[in-house]
Amino acid sequence: MRAFLAVCLLAASISTAAPAGAQDVESLKKELEQMRKQFESMKDQYQKSIDAMAERVKRLESRPEPVATPVPVAPAPPTPAPVVTQAPPSSGGQPSLLELARPRQPFSLYERRGPGQLLFDIGVVGDFVGNITQNNVEQGKGGTFAGRENRFFPREIELNLFGQIDPYARGEVRIEAAEEFEGGERKLELHLAEAHLTLLTLPFGTQARLGKLRNRFGLLNQLHREALPQTDQPDVLTQFFGEEGLTESGGELTWVAPLPFYLEALVGLFNGDNETAFGRGSLRNPLVTGRLRTFFELGDFGALQLGASVASGITEEDHRNTVLGADLKYKYRPDGWAHPLFTAAGEFLYQLRTVNVFGEDLDGDGIADTPDETRTRNRLGWYVYGEVQPWRRWAFGTRYDWTEYALARGHQWAVEPYVTFWPSEFLRFRLGYKHTEGNTRGCCTNVADVGSARIKDEFLFQATFFLGAHPTHPF
Amino acid sequence: MRTLIQILATAALALPLLQGSANAADKIRVVTTITDLKSLTEAVGGDLVEVDALVRPSQNPHDLEVRPSLMVKVRRADLFVMNGLDLDQWAEVVVQGGNNSKVIAGGPGRVDASRGIPVLEVPTTRVDRSMGDVHPFGNPHYTLDPGMAPIVTTNILEGLARVAPQHQATFERNRQAFLARLEAAMSGWTRALEPVKGAKLVVYHNNLIYLVTRFGLVQVGTVEDRPGIPPSPGHLTRLIRQMKEEGVKAILVEPWSDQTLTARIAQESGAKMVVLNAKLGATSGPDAYIASTNANITALAQALR
Repeated sequence: MRAFLAVCLLAASISTAAPAGAQDVESLKKELEQMRKQFESMKDQYQKSIDAMAERVKRLESRPEPVATPVPVAPAPPTPAPVVTQAPPSSGGQPSLLELARPRQPFSLYERRGPGQLLFDIGVVGDFVGNITQNNVEQGKGGTFAGRENRFFPREIELNLFGQIDPYARGEVRIEAAEEFEGGERKLELHLAEAHLTLLTLPFGTQARLGKLRNRFGLLNQLHREALPQTDQPDVLTQFFGEEGLTESGGELTWVAPLPFYLEALVGLFNGDNETAFGRGSLRNPLVTGRLRTFFELGDFGALQLGASVASGITEEDHRNTVLGADLKYKYRPDGWAHPLFTAAGEFLYQLRTVNVFGEDLDGDGIADTPDETRTRNRLGWYVYGEVQPWRRWAFGTRYDWTEYALARGHQWAVEPYVTFWPSEFLRFRLGYKHTEGNTRGCCTNVADVGSARIKDEFLFQATFFLGAHPTHPF
Repeated sequence: MRTLIQILATAALALPLLQGSANAADKIRVVTTITDLKSLTEAVGGDLVEVDALVRPSQNPHDLEVRPSLMVKVRRADLFVMNGLDLDQWAEVVVQGGNNSKVIAGGPGRVDASRGIPVLEVPTTRVDRSMGDVHPFGNPHYTLDPGMAPIVTTNILEGLARVAPQHQATFERNRQAFLARLEAAMSGWTRALEPVKGAKLVVYHNNLIYLVTRFGLVQVGTVEDRPGIPPSPGHLTRLIRQMKEEGVKAILVEPWSDQTLTARIAQESGAKMVVLNAKLGATSGPDAYIASTNANITALAQALR
C-alpha cells in the first residue's frame, strides 16, 4: 500500500512538473546557444588578437633593431652572451668579382631597417630670397638676382632623396623648382638640380661619383644656394661660372691619402656644359677638374682648411678656358660649443681664357678695318668673409668681393654685412645689405647696357626652412 | 769613423721607436663616435686594439662639426663603432669622407652598438619637429647606464671578432673579466643609491633616463621644454614650481649645456646642481668606463641624500 502511494505521488509530481521541466530545458537551450555564440565571438576576437600579436612578433623578430620596452631590463648577467661571428663579405672588405656578379636581394636593406620605413631619406628645403634696390638697377636688370629686382621669390625649393642604393653605393637626387629669369621673362621652372651615385667600395681609399653634380671646385661652389654663408654667392663665382655656379654631368674620383693628416685629391671629367665658362658640352673636348684639399687642427679649438682647384675646358668659340682657384677657411670653436665662435674664409680665382675678337669697322664703310684675332682674357677675382657667432641662434658677418669681369673690361667690388637668426636648426632668417661699385657700366650680369647701375645698393633678405631629412654639411 | 759611429748610434736609438710604431701598426685600429664606446672597446680589445673617439668628452654628440680630421681617423680604421639610434647621424658623412670601404654601412668593420638594447621612450605616436629634436627610434643615451654594458660589449666583441677572428678567444676573456669587475662595481652602486631609491630629480637634457630607471630614481622633468630647443620662461616657471612641490633634490646637467641657467633653477627650487660626466671614459684604459660611472653615481648619491 505504501509502495502504491509512493508511485502515485511520483506519478502526480511528474505529471505536474513535466511542463515546468520542458520550460527549463528550452530556457537552458537558449542560454546554451547564447553562450555558444558568445564563445564563438570571443574565440574570433582572441584569434584575431593572437594573429595580430604573431604578426607583430614576426615583424619585430625580423628587425635587428632592439625591441621597445617601457623600462630597461635588469642588469644583464656578466657572463658573456654567445658570440655570433658573422663572416665578412670578403677578405679585406673589398667585394670580390664573384660577389659583385652574384644576384643580390633587392629588399635586404628594407628588411634590415624593419617594416614601415622607407628605403631612403626624403627632405625638402625651401629657400626664399628677396631684395630691394634702386629703380635704375631694376631697369638695367643689374641686381644680385638679375631680372628679379625688388621681388621676394622662391630661389630653390628642393626635393632631396638620398640613401644607400645597395651595400656598395649611395645615391642622391635633387629636384628643384625656382623662379628663373630667362629670355627677358620670369618663370617658375622645375629641373633636375643633381642626380648622382657614389661608389663606396673602390680599392686604395678611392671613391667615385657619377652623374650630374655640383663640382667640388673651391669652397662654396659645391654648396647648394640655401647652404651658403651669405644670401648670395660671391660675385667672382657669378662672373666666372654664372648664377647657378659650376654644375656638370660626368664623374669625379677622390682619393684620401693614408697619412696622419688629411689630404684629399680629386680628378674629374665632365661634359663642360656651363655656358658662362665653357659650353662645349662634349666628352671629346671634356671639362677636366682637379682639387687638392688639406686640413689642420690648430690646437684644441682652431681648424684650418686649405684647398687648390682647377677647371679646364673648351668654350663655344673652341678656345681653352682654365680657371685656377685657391681657398682657405678657418674656424675657432671654444670647447663644448655647438657652433663656431669665429669663422673666416676666402677664395681666389684666376681665369686664363682666349676669346675671339672680330675686326672693327672704324670708318663706317661696312668693311672691318682691323683683322679678326684672338686675345687673352686673364682675369682675377676673390672674396673674403668673416663671421662671429656669439650665441647659438645669432651670427653676424661681412663679406668683401672684388672681381674683374670675365669678358668685359673693368672690375667691381662689393661689401655685404649680414645677420643670421636661427629660431631652430631647421629654420633660418637672414638680412643683409650689399653695396656694389663697378668701374664701368658693364658690370654684374655681363649685360652691356645696365643703365646707370654702376653703383648699387641692395637690401637682401632670406627665409629658409628644412623639412625632414637633411644631410650634415662638412666643415 | 766618427760619422759611422754617429749613424750606428742614431740607428740604435731609432730602433725602439721603429719597433714601437710597428707594434702600433699591428694593432687593430678602432674608431668610435663617442668616448663611452671607446672605453668599452678598450675593455674588450685590451692591448690588441688602438681606439680613438671622434667626439671629445666635452662635446655634445648630437651635433658634431664634420671636420676632415675626423675623416683621417676613419680612413685608417679597421673597425668603426657607432652609438646608433640617430645620436651620431653625422657619422655617415665622416665615413663617406674617409674613403674607407671596410667601415661603410653594411661593411665588416661597422658596429652599431645599439643592437639588442631595450630602447626606452620609443615614440608610440607620430612625431615631428614641433616636438623638438626628437629621436624617432627612441632615447639613444643608453651607454650612460652600466647595465647596458653586457649588450654593448657583445656587439663590440662581434665586430672585433669579424676583423680579427684569430683573437676572438682573447676578446672573450677580456670581456668576461671586464664584466666581472663591472658587476662588482654595480653591487656597490646599487648599495650607494639604495637609501635614495624613489628620489625625484630633474635633468637638463633627457639623456639619463636609462641610468635613473636602472637605480630606481624618478625623473620628474627636463629643463629643455622640447629636446634641443632652449626652454621658454613659462616652462622654467612651471618647472621650478613643480620641483618645489615635489621636493626634487637634484638637477643634473651635462658639461655642454647651460650651467648658468641650471644653477639659477637649482637656487630657486632648492635642489642641488650636479654636473655629470655625460660622456663616459674620458680617460683611456680598460676601466675608464667604470671609473667615470663611479664618479657619476657617487655625485648623484651625495646630491640626493
